[in-house]
Amino acid sequence: MPPLDDTIAAIATATGAGGLAVVRVSGSAALATADAVFEGGERLESAPSHTVHHGWVVARECAEAADGAAVAPARRLDEVVAAVFRAPRSYTREDVVELSCHGGELSSRRVLAALLAAGARLASPGEFTLRAFLNGRIDLAQAEAVADVVRAETERGHELALSQLAGELSRTVNALSDRLADALAEVEARVDFAEDVGGIEVPEHVLATIAGLEASLAGLLQGAAYARAVREGVRVPLVGRPNVGKSSLFNALLGEARAIVTDVPGTTRDRVSEAIELAGIRVTVSDTAGMRETGDAVESIGVARAREALADCAVALWVVDGAAPLDDNDERIARELAGKRVLVALNKRDLGEATTLAQVGTLLDGAQRRVVAVSATQGLGLEALRQALAALLGAGEADGSLSGAVGNRRHAEALERARAALDRAARAAGEGLPGEIVALELREALAALGEVTGRSVGEDLLERIFSKFCVGK
Amino acid sequence: MARGDGSDDRFDVVVVGAGHAGCEAALACAGIGLHTALVTVRLEDTAKMSCNPAVGGIAKGHMVREIDALGGAMGLVTDRAGIQFKMLNRGRGPAVWSPRAQCDKARYSAEMAQLLGTTPGLARVAGVVHHVRLAGGRVCGVELADGRMLRCRAAVITPGTFLNGLIHIGPRRLAGGRIGEHAALALSECLAELGLERGRLKTGTPPRLHRDSIDWEALEPQPGDEPPMPFSHWTERLDLDQVLCHLTHTHAGTHQVIRNNLHLSPLYSGAIKGTGPRYCPSLEDKVVKFPERSSHHVFLEPEGRDVPEIYVNGVSTSLPEEVQIEFVRTMPGLERAHMLRPGYAVEYDFVLPHQLGPTLEVKTVPGLFLAGQICGTSGYEEAAAQGLMAGINAAHAVTGRPPFVLRRDQAYIGVLIDDLVTREHREPYRMFTSAAEHRLIMRADNADERLSELGHALGLLTSAQVDRVRAKVAALAAEERRLARVMVSMAAVSAASGTAVGAAAREITAVASGEEGGTAPSAEESAGLGNARRAGLGAESGPASAAASTMTALDALARPHGSVRALRAAGVPCPLPDDWAACLEVRVRYRGYIERQARTAQQMTALECLALPQSLWQGTLSGLSREAREKLVRWKPSSVGQASRIAGVTPADVAILLVHARRAAAAP
Repeated sequence: MPPLDDTIAAIATATGAGGLAVVRVSGSAALATADAVFEGGERLESAPSHTVHHGWVVARECAEAADGAAVAPARRLDEVVAAVFRAPRSYTREDVVELSCHGGELSSRRVLAALLAAGARLASPGEFTLRAFLNGRIDLAQAEAVADVVRAETERGHELALSQLAGELSRTVNALSDRLADALAEVEARVDFAEDVGGIEVPEHVLATIAGLEASLAGLLQGAAYARAVREGVRVPLVGRPNVGKSSLFNALLGEARAIVTDVPGTTRDRVSEAIELAGIRVTVSDTAGMRETGDAVESIGVARAREALADCAVALWVVDGAAPLDDNDERIARELAGKRVLVALNKRDLGEATTLAQVGTLLDGAQRRVVAVSATQGLGLEALRQALAALLGAGEADGSLSGAVGNRRHAEALERARAALDRAARAAGEGLPGEIVALELREALAALGEVTGRSVGEDLLERIFSKFCVGK
Repeated sequence: MARGDGSDDRFDVVVVGAGHAGCEAALACAGIGLHTALVTVRLEDTAKMSCNPAVGGIAKGHMVREIDALGGAMGLVTDRAGIQFKMLNRGRGPAVWSPRAQCDKARYSAEMAQLLGTTPGLARVAGVVHHVRLAGGRVCGVELADGRMLRCRAAVITPGTFLNGLIHIGPRRLAGGRIGEHAALALSECLAELGLERGRLKTGTPPRLHRDSIDWEALEPQPGDEPPMPFSHWTERLDLDQVLCHLTHTHAGTHQVIRNNLHLSPLYSGAIKGTGPRYCPSLEDKVVKFPERSSHHVFLEPEGRDVPEIYVNGVSTSLPEEVQIEFVRTMPGLERAHMLRPGYAVEYDFVLPHQLGPTLEVKTVPGLFLAGQICGTSGYEEAAAQGLMAGINAAHAVTGRPPFVLRRDQAYIGVLIDDLVTREHREPYRMFTSAAEHRLIMRADNADERLSELGHALGLLTSAQVDRVRAKVAALAAEERRLARVMVSMAAVSAASGTAVGAAAREITAVASGEEGGTAPSAEESAGLGNARRAGLGAESGPASAAASTMTALDALARPHGSVRALRAAGVPCPLPDDWAACLEVRVRYRGYIERQARTAQQMTALECLALPQSLWQGTLSGLSREAREKLVRWKPSSVGQASRIAGVTPADVAILLVHARRAAAAP
């Protein structure tokens, strides 16, 4: 970890063209450091908090003379607006200056270079947020949300991250923790004050609380798959044997002729990917080579890539030629799809019905699947296909607000552990195991909930989280 | 340690106060081989039980077992002075079974005095200590009221409630630590002059009644356990005729008397400034704070076998004498009770314990150790535990041996001291099992396994003693391995609660590989089966498959109601003595949980091992919240683990300290 008490600076906005760029300085010497490069009406060090000041960022080539008069004229680098946030009412709870300069890479980089020359250290990725967390302004769930707000690629993803940043999830989980701590106290009291409190180890109302907490956690977790899809996006490869119309369907889903379409089987050699938005989820659809045994070296590499795409996808979109009977290749593919969520597009419906929905269903027995008849070239059934895909991604379970939803894998995992511990607590109580065993499980559940908001965190955990942050946020 | 001149006023360690803390401290120092003085006002006032006539109880009993396993005296003396023995919490899990013994108070004092008197290297000195003297910032002696100076290299101060003690009985106030005795005023001032921040606490005691004035026939008797189980690991067997306690109760009439006279209670008139314990409320508090309760249990406990005093447990009070008599006589069986001594409240000074390190040494005064109520605890057992640890560490400070600190996953004693020096205290601290996050592995039944090797290494246990513990550990392990090879019919085990089914068991003859090496893992595996289910981590049911009708004896023992007794009834003899068999039951039945907790404990130990250099607290500590900075500078925790337990120090603060700890570790 870097030092935690020096003054850091970084460009806070995305690189590339834009009207404005913001360079942020934070730390006990933030104001002095900014003053060293800023030329405006007044010194920022004497400016009140939450004020903005127009001026210029300058490069001072020479040191100041002993009497304080500049011995060399400063070279102006850019016209800026400096915003002053004094500790603790700032992003990091330290003194912060944000210099808004002109967009484009050059301006912001020159301003940053001037600040670094004046003594600031270049911030590591996520370091501003790390400081906000370490200074107690935000909790762990909120800190993680910052990264999500920045990274969010769909509106719903943004909404989810903002709600988490506002502390929705933390509030929900803290409320559960409080109820759980109450239940634990009830059990503990009976262990330590057997003579005073007496009675059965785990009274009915505590069992009811445990059951209620389990239900609340189950509810939170139910929306988790969708929330995670919203947060992280999903990959959906189009797979199928050659010449069933994968590329046509790919183009139809994108609404543009992205992939090359011919009548020649095996036209698509490499994987082609594009992102679409579906039910608030960023879905990366990829067209793949048709899967068949082939002697062609290039084509067989394409087939291998198709298999790879299949291996790590959330949902596979299997394209079947509805106008032709199923063949050996289809059966092989069906076996490869075992255990996956599968959306089947029964394509070329405009050309015939040689294969039925039921036949495909039989091939995929046991898999979580939906089968939709479409015609990629005629644009038939595409909306039904999109809806089926959204449903497979869990969108149906979380129609409402994403406020307080669990979109983060670490959170979902911790909540799942809490739920499992509560389940064990209930079963232990049911089996008549002693109170201190039930308490052990409740404590474990409490610790797991604490992991979401950072009430109890290990060293390792923190480092993993903060290594994920991008510079400037 | 050798003495230079042989005079009787030069010691290695001087212990001030001969209560439960002081006695253990003095015995530990002398046991380690140091020339030790134990100073007390009157030699006959040794190890007095100022309040209830009992040792042990929930969590407290655990500590007494630990003291005993380390080579302390409390368990042995209790076995000699006990008149009724009981295992509390029997209805709950074995982790929280806690022994308690009613004691003959006079006998307890006498037995402890005898132990002190026969300990080589231990001198008992009558006197009142006024000052702790320093030389070069270190303790060099204690000065008595008469001007005598006892030179020493370390001092253990254990004044109990005598430190500026003030007794309240109704509006009457008397200076003193116990009724009719003196108060240590000068010593408290001396501690203030040493720069120690003090606070004020309060405790109370109920009235004592005359045995012959109680209508025993009207009361419910409370017998002890038969056979009585000894406290000490080193007591073979207890042979005694146990006395009875009795149960009565308060009722609306009693409560009305209290309410009518509340204005006379110093607790409610504002005369008492110290904070009392919420877990041991006075009857006034019970009535005022729990108005919905129409009755409270009251236990009548004899203070000895042949003394008239009956202790009225549950009605601690500071009301005037005449009101005490009035409310006592409302209770069934006590209508004609004669009060021998009134209850009273006592306020006393204590030293805020954040000023102590984990060895109970004052951080700013090398060689000065504190133990007992002066550190903000209540209870004989808490005092004895600290006395033992302070004594050991004072001895180690003198001999240059490393500090002796028990971790929170090693002993309740470790929890006690860590809590004391780490947490903020507003009331006298008492031990509870819930304070111990690793309580499943810190049971009364395994205190010897946890601590005896340490006690031996300290020099407080003999080789013969520790060999007995080793023999127990080996016997339990061997029996566990053996039971894993014995097959038993399920029907027989199930039926075994009543009718014994003979010859249901057979030994497995074909063991896969060699004798010991091969069987040990198989014992682990088969025990794991039963316990995986119990820990809620594994398959639903272990032995329900092919060999449905038989299982290993170990699996049978691991079942929810498995017991060695049931195994024996099913035809599986178990050669262990009963108390060891009970230990085996616990570890087999709760193995899944015990192993889980042991893993958690290991993770925590990692944080405990990350030391924080004391120089850190002079730095600017930037990056920390103001609250955390204030707390850390006040407590000056010695490890990241300790820091994480200070209230107001958040995980964020801990993260920063981790950085500092790593930087400090990296520095040469």
